[in-house]
Amino acid sequence: MDVAIETVGLEKSYQRRKRKSGFWAGIRSYFSFESETVSAVSDLSFTIRRGESVGLIGENGAGKSTTVKMLTGILVPSAGRVETLGVVPWKARRHLAQSIGVVFGQKPQILWDIPARASFDLLKAMYAIPDEVYRFTYDEAVERLELAEFLDTPVRLLSLGQRMRCDLAACLLHAPAVAFLDEPTIGLDVLVKERVREHLIEMRRRFGTTILLTTHDLKDISATCERLLVLDRGKLLYDGSREGFQTRFADERTLHVELDGIASDEAKRALDGELAADGVKVAWDGDRRLRVDCPRAASAPRVTAAVLRRLPVRDLTLQGVELDAIVSRLYRNGGKGAG
Amino acid sequence: MTVSLSLEGRDRAALPVPSVWQLVAGFTALALRTAESKLTYRLATVLSLIASGLAYCVYLLVWLAVYRENPNPGPLGQQAMTAYLVTAFIVNAILTLSLEFRFIQRVRMGLVGIDLLRPLGFLPFQIAQGVGDALVNFVFVVPIFGVGLYFVGGALMPATAGAALLGGLSLVLAFVVNFGLSYLIVQASFVLQSGYGVLFMRAALHQIFSGLAAPLVMFPDGLRAAATFLPFRHVVETPVLLWLGTAGISEAPLLLAEQAAWALALLFLGELIFRSVMRRHQVQGG
Repeated sequence: MDVAIETVGLEKSYQRRKRKSGFWAGIRSYFSFESETVSAVSDLSFTIRRGESVGLIGENGAGKSTTVKMLTGILVPSAGRVETLGVVPWKARRHLAQSIGVVFGQKPQILWDIPARASFDLLKAMYAIPDEVYRFTYDEAVERLELAEFLDTPVRLLSLGQRMRCDLAACLLHAPAVAFLDEPTIGLDVLVKERVREHLIEMRRRFGTTILLTTHDLKDISATCERLLVLDRGKLLYDGSREGFQTRFADERTLHVELDGIASDEAKRALDGELAADGVKVAWDGDRRLRVDCPRAASAPRVTAAVLRRLPVRDLTLQGVELDAIVSRLYRNGGKGAG
Repeated sequence: MTVSLSLEGRDRAALPVPSVWQLVAGFTALALRTAESKLTYRLATVLSLIASGLAYCVYLLVWLAVYRENPNPGPLGQQAMTAYLVTAFIVNAILTLSLEFRFIQRVRMGLVGIDLLRPLGFLPFQIAQGVGDALVNFVFVVPIFGVGLYFVGGALMPATAGAALLGGLSLVLAFVVNFGLSYLIVQASFVLQSGYGVLFMRAALHQIFSGLAAPLVMFPDGLRAAATFLPFRHVVETPVLLWLGTAGISEAPLLLAEQAAWALALLFLGELIFRSVMRRHQVQGG
């Protein structure tokens, strides 16, 4: 197996000065050196193969960015082992930099006061990007991310969305072996997000780029990643395929039903009675629409057959639970139900 | 703590190592782009130069008043003193880098992680930006030098071609000494999360000990002795003395050797601290 990233028992904790809020607390802090240890990541173990595209998700403060910083060599782990492209990142950071690309959402990667085109030229020189690679990555970025109209505008005058597109282009110009993308679609509108996802897919197809994507927009993950790592308070909650995650945690399917006429009270009671034993819940929306929530234990075909038999159905759709619904439920439950 | 140490050495061979040519090309491109960035703020750059020039006029006026009261206050005559002060201002203006302010800002905003991930390496990355700053400064002081020549005359010019050469060489070394001091402030920013306190301390020491206000021979004995053991005089006084020929050929080797030693020592110390703080630092802002 050709490994791109490997971590074993990775941990990161910080010393943080204790300080209460307020003016007097600020004064007192000059004479107090109390500190506390904060654990950002603990016992994190996973392996990512070359060419894989992996989504790293978790609530704010779950340890996603800290993990990315350890994988890229910006932070030194407190304990454990980490390798990116076969090197210990913090020891071989300069060498590793040649082979990775990083986007930290909201933090500009390119020079603030000069146009993006000049920054791209700078990166070409700094990474010694071969002409044929640069021609492809530059053209692909300009076309796919629609950069042409603002390439010569100083970066500080660009909108957040325009700048994020330039940052992403800059990160991938040297066709890195691994791209760490920390919220690359933050602040982008729906159309631009689509473009960014297409760009990532194309770069991966062309160069076999390994992608580690952290995001709060789970549509990014659905579109570009086949595997998920879910972090909760610094610990790994789930590591597996995206479909597996949905199968494992999607404990409900929903039947949306539209009726041809008004159902009798007797038919409604009969349906409730037939389905209640399986834990199926029926919720009416007026007289002609209803939603039927099927738990994992209930048979969807049997529930569907009961609805068709008891009610004058005009239309019916069976819906699985979307990735973001599962994830938000996991967050709400503090990771319970996973593991 | 069980941080792995097992893979150092073997791994570097597994990755493409940047060639010397790549490093030189990257360094040059970054220096030029930094200069381009600095030139963006035309009015701000010109105004800050004018402001520092006006502030510096106070030194000139004070010394002119001193010479009016006492034509022989020390080893330097009035004309030599004026030439020294104008040249010192020019050297100082060339070597005033935006590096510390830029870096302190980047640490506060959590942007420094991006600088750490460039194949150029962190130290060359910072030096290249310093070179870019100095390049712009150099262009801007050329007209000031012209104005100085008009008022002070030939006393601003080096006495011999050798003095010009030594002055130029010393200016390059002064850049490295100055950068080395700035690099220590960069490290302080890592440790303290805000380097402004250290920056202002350095600025105060520079004002006193660099020879910006007057050559050290005009200082009281105690202050002069202290300045001898500090690097600051090699940022301003040494290149000025060599350029003007006040320090002769015989003194040049020792002065240049001291400058080079300070340059190396400061860079070494900066790198040592950098390696240490990299193990403990945090990156702000998620």
